[in-house]
Amino acid sequence: MKHSDTVVIGSGLAGLMAALTSAKQGKKVTLLTTGAGSLSLNSGVIDVLGFDENHNFVESPREGIKTLPEDHPYKKIGVDTLEKAVEAFLDFTKEGHFPYSGSLDRQILVPTAVGTLKPTCLAPRSLNGNGLKEKQHIVVVGISGLKDFYGDIIVDNIRPLLGENHRYEVVTVESGLGGGRDITTMDVARWMDTDGGLETLASALKPHAAEGTVFLLPQILGTAGEDRMIALQDKLGAEVVETTCLPPSVNGLRLQKIFHGALMRLGVDLIEDTKVVRAVTQGKRCTAVVAQAAAREKTYEAEKFILATGGFYSGGITMREFEQPKEMIFGLPVWFVPGEENWSNEQLFSDKPQGFAKTGILTDENLRPVDNKTGKVVYDNVHVVGRNLGGYDFCFEHSGNGVALASAYKAAMV
Amino acid sequence: MEKATVVVIGGGATGVGILRDLAMRGVDVLLVEKCDLVNGASSRYHGLLHSGGRYAVKDQEAARECIIENKILRKIGKSCVEATGGMFVRLDIDDPDYEQQWVKGCADSGIDAEPITLEQAFRLEPLLSKHVVSAYLVPDAAIDGFRMSWQNVESAQRYGGRFKTYREVVGIQHQNGEIQGVQVRNMITGEIEEIACDILVNAAGGWAGKVAALAGLEVGVQPDKGTLLAFNQRLTSHVVNRLHKSSDGDIFVPHGSITILGTSSMSIPDPEDTSTSREEVENLLSIGEKTFEHLRDYRMLRAFAGSRPLYMPPGGAAGRGASRGFAIVDHGKDDGLKGMMTIVGGKFTTYRLMAEKIVDQICDKLNVKEPCRTAEEPLVPEVAENDKKEARKYFPAYGTNLAATRLGPERFRRVVDDLKAHPEKRELVCECENVTLAEVEEIAKELSSFQINDIRRRTRIGMGTCQANFCALRSAAVFAKCGRDKVAKDSLGQMKQFLQGRWKGIRPVLVGRTLREIEMTRALYELSFHVDGGKKA
Repeated sequence: MKHSDTVVIGSGLAGLMAALTSAKQGKKVTLLTTGAGSLSLNSGVIDVLGFDENHNFVESPREGIKTLPEDHPYKKIGVDTLEKAVEAFLDFTKEGHFPYSGSLDRQILVPTAVGTLKPTCLAPRSLNGNGLKEKQHIVVVGISGLKDFYGDIIVDNIRPLLGENHRYEVVTVESGLGGGRDITTMDVARWMDTDGGLETLASALKPHAAEGTVFLLPQILGTAGEDRMIALQDKLGAEVVETTCLPPSVNGLRLQKIFHGALMRLGVDLIEDTKVVRAVTQGKRCTAVVAQAAAREKTYEAEKFILATGGFYSGGITMREFEQPKEMIFGLPVWFVPGEENWSNEQLFSDKPQGFAKTGILTDENLRPVDNKTGKVVYDNVHVVGRNLGGYDFCFEHSGNGVALASAYKAAMV
Repeated sequence: MEKATVVVIGGGATGVGILRDLAMRGVDVLLVEKCDLVNGASSRYHGLLHSGGRYAVKDQEAARECIIENKILRKIGKSCVEATGGMFVRLDIDDPDYEQQWVKGCADSGIDAEPITLEQAFRLEPLLSKHVVSAYLVPDAAIDGFRMSWQNVESAQRYGGRFKTYREVVGIQHQNGEIQGVQVRNMITGEIEEIACDILVNAAGGWAGKVAALAGLEVGVQPDKGTLLAFNQRLTSHVVNRLHKSSDGDIFVPHGSITILGTSSMSIPDPEDTSTSREEVENLLSIGEKTFEHLRDYRMLRAFAGSRPLYMPPGGAAGRGASRGFAIVDHGKDDGLKGMMTIVGGKFTTYRLMAEKIVDQICDKLNVKEPCRTAEEPLVPEVAENDKKEARKYFPAYGTNLAATRLGPERFRRVVDDLKAHPEKRELVCECENVTLAEVEEIAKELSSFQINDIRRRTRIGMGTCQANFCALRSAAVFAKCGRDKVAKDSLGQMKQFLQGRWKGIRPVLVGRTLREIEMTRALYELSFHVDGGKKA
C-alpha cells in the first residue's frame, strides 16, 4: 500500500503534464504507466486547433476555439486555463533547455516529410517552418539508407505552397549507417549526437550553403534538446529546419526526455511496467487504484486520481463489440456517436470529423466524469484528461496535444 | 486499327485462363479489362482451392470438377497454392444426418475425406470450439488469386498473348450477324479505341450481362455478393469448414499470416456494389464464433466483398440454390450473332477447366488443331536454383521464394541484378510482406501500373499487418520517381487514394483492435503529415 496526494495513470503527453503540474504545486505524485508512453509516436509539436468543425483553416486558435460546440473539451477547460497551460509549458521547455515558441494567436507551419505544411501552435525552433517562405534557396537533405524521407516528393509538394521564386536542391548525405538493416531517424539522431557524425553532415552540406539558404532535414538533429541543431547552424552559417517524420518520433522523445528529467527532480514516483486494473471506490469517491505488477497486485491510495490512459490507440478505451465502448479502470460511462452511418465517413480524409474518433468520457468543468444521460458527476476526485476525453476528433481538428496539455494542467490545478 | 483474332473481355481468372490457353494453342489473342487485372470476384473471394467437399451433397458434378482441378492447379501453380489441407467439423447443433450424406457424397465424388478423432482435431486446430462433435480431413488448400492470375497472364505473354488494362468495352461492332470488333474506352485518358476481331469472348463475370447487352443480347447473370472478413492472425492451420448445409460464415481459410472468414450470399442488382455493412460483419462474426469462440478478440484487418457471377438459365434458382457450375453460350447458335461467345458462372477452382472448354469450341471455329496443354505445363518456368541462391544474399531470407514466384524468372533476374548493383535497394518498402525497394521499382515501371493499388496487387505491399501505415509514404515516393506519367507524380493524391482503398475495407470492421490501427493511420497521415493539406493552410 502506497499513499500519495495524486495518482496519475498514463505517461503520454497528458499524463506527463498532469504529473509535472501537480508536482510543481507541491503535491506528492505517483505516475503509473503500463508502457513507455506514446511520445515516440507523437510529433511533439503542440497543435491547439488547426481546423474548425467545417474544416476551415484556423488562423488564430484563440478565436477558433470560440466556434467549437459546447461539448468540446476546450469549452470545459476554458481559454484562460488553456492560456495558462501554454505559458506553463513554454516556461517548462525553457527550463529544460529545449525551448518551444508560439502563441494562441497564430499558427506555426511545420514542414512534413511529404512536403506539406502542418499548422501547429507551439513548436521547438528546429521544427518551425514559418521562415521558409523568405528563403531563396531550399536544400532538402536526405540521408542514405533512411527510407522514410524522400527529398523529391518534398520538393514536388512544397513548391506550390511556398511559391515559385525559390531554388530547390536535393542532397543525399552518405551516413555509413545501416550495415544490413534499415535505419530510422532515431539511428541518425544518435549519430548526430556524436561530433564525428555532426562534422560529416556539416562538411557534406557546407558546399551547398549560400546567402538565403535553408536546409530542410528529417528529424535527426540529436536525441536531446536543440544543441545539435544550433551547432549545425553555426557550422553551416545557415538555418536548418526539421520535418515531421514517421515514427519513432525523435522530437516526441526529446520532449519526453525533459519531462522525465523534471519529474525526477520534483520527486515524482514514476512507476513503469505496471498496469492499473481496477479502482477502489466508496460512493462518489475513489480511494485507491489497484495495479498489476510483475508478480502481484499493488494498491495505490490517493486523494486525487487523474486518468490519462488514452483512447482507442493506447487502450484506455476499448470497444470489443459495436456500440459498447468501455473505460477499462473505473468503468466510467463512455460517450459515443451511435449508428453505423454516423460512426465513420465514407472518405478517410474527410471534410467533417469522424464519429468514432469522438468517443470518450464527458466531464463537468473540473474534468470530472459525468453520466452521459443525467450529466451528474460520477466520482468527485477523479479527473479525465487527454485522449480519454470525448467530443472531439483530434486528427481532424489538429488539436490533440493542445487538449492534452490544457486538460492535464486544469486537472492538476483544480 | 488494332487487330486480334480473338478478343477476351474480362481480366478475372476465367479471362486470363482463356488468354493463356488460346495463346498456348497459337491463336492471336488480346484481353481487355476495365480495371486492373483480378479486380473482381477473382480476388474478392476466400482464396480457397476447393477439394469439392463443399459441394459433395448438393452438386456432385461441381464436386468432381473441383477435386480434379484441385490436383491440376497444385501441379501447374504450386507457388500459388499453400497446401494447408482442409478440415470439416460438425458442431453439436448441426444435423447428424447431413454428415452421413456428406460422407457418402465425398466417396461418390472421388474426394478423400478421412475421419479423425476429436483429440486429433483439437491437436491440429487448438482454437476450435469444444462443441465440435466430429471432424474429417479433406484436400482443401489456400490459393493466391492475384498471383495465379498474373502468372496466367505472364505465361500467355510468353506465347504472344496480349492484354490491356483500364479499357472498358463501350461498344460491340457487328455487321450482317457477324462480330467485327469492339470499342473500348481508355479509363485513364478517356479516349475511345477500336479493336477488330473475328471472335469476341465475353468473360466479364458479374458484368457479363452488361457486356452482352452492348450487342443487344440477353445473358442471365445474377451478381451474388459474398462478404468476407480478413483477420490479422492465422487462426487456423487448415482450411476449416463447418460440416452442415452450406451457409454463411462457415469457412475459415488461412493465408500467409492472415485468416479469411466468409462468406455471405446476397443477390444484388449491380456487380459494382462491393460495399460491406456492419450488419454483414456482425452476421459473419456471430456465425464464425460458433466454430472459433474467441473470434472477437482477434484484430480484423478488413472486410471485403465480391460478386459471384451466378448463371441463371431461364427459370433457375438464385442465391445458394443456384448452381456453382458454369455455362458457355454460343451466340452464333442461340442468337444469330456469329463470333460472339459468353462464359459465365463457375468458381475460381475450376477456372482452368472453364477456359479449356470454351477454347476447345473457339479452336473448332478457327480450325486450330492444337490440343490444350494448360493442365500439364506449369504457369511459371522454374526459377533457376542458382538465381535463387544468389538472391538469398540480397533478399530477406524468407522472401526469396515468394519474390521469385511473384516476379517470374525474367523479372526476378533483373531485380536480383539490381539488388546486387545497388545494395541500398535491398531495403524493405513493405516490412509486413517483405517487399524490397528493387521489386517495387520494377513493378512501378511496368506499363500496367497506373496507381499504387496496381503495384499492391502484384507485390502485396500494404496488404499485411500495418495496412499501409508505413508503406503508403514509401510506395508513393517510389511511384513518383519510377511511374511514367503525371498521375504517378501526384504523390499526395496517390497516397490518399491508396489509404482510401484500405479505408474502404476497414470502415465496416471499425471495432475492437481495428480502431487502434486506424487511429495510428490518421495520426500519421492526417495529423503528422497533413496529407490533406497540400492546398490548404
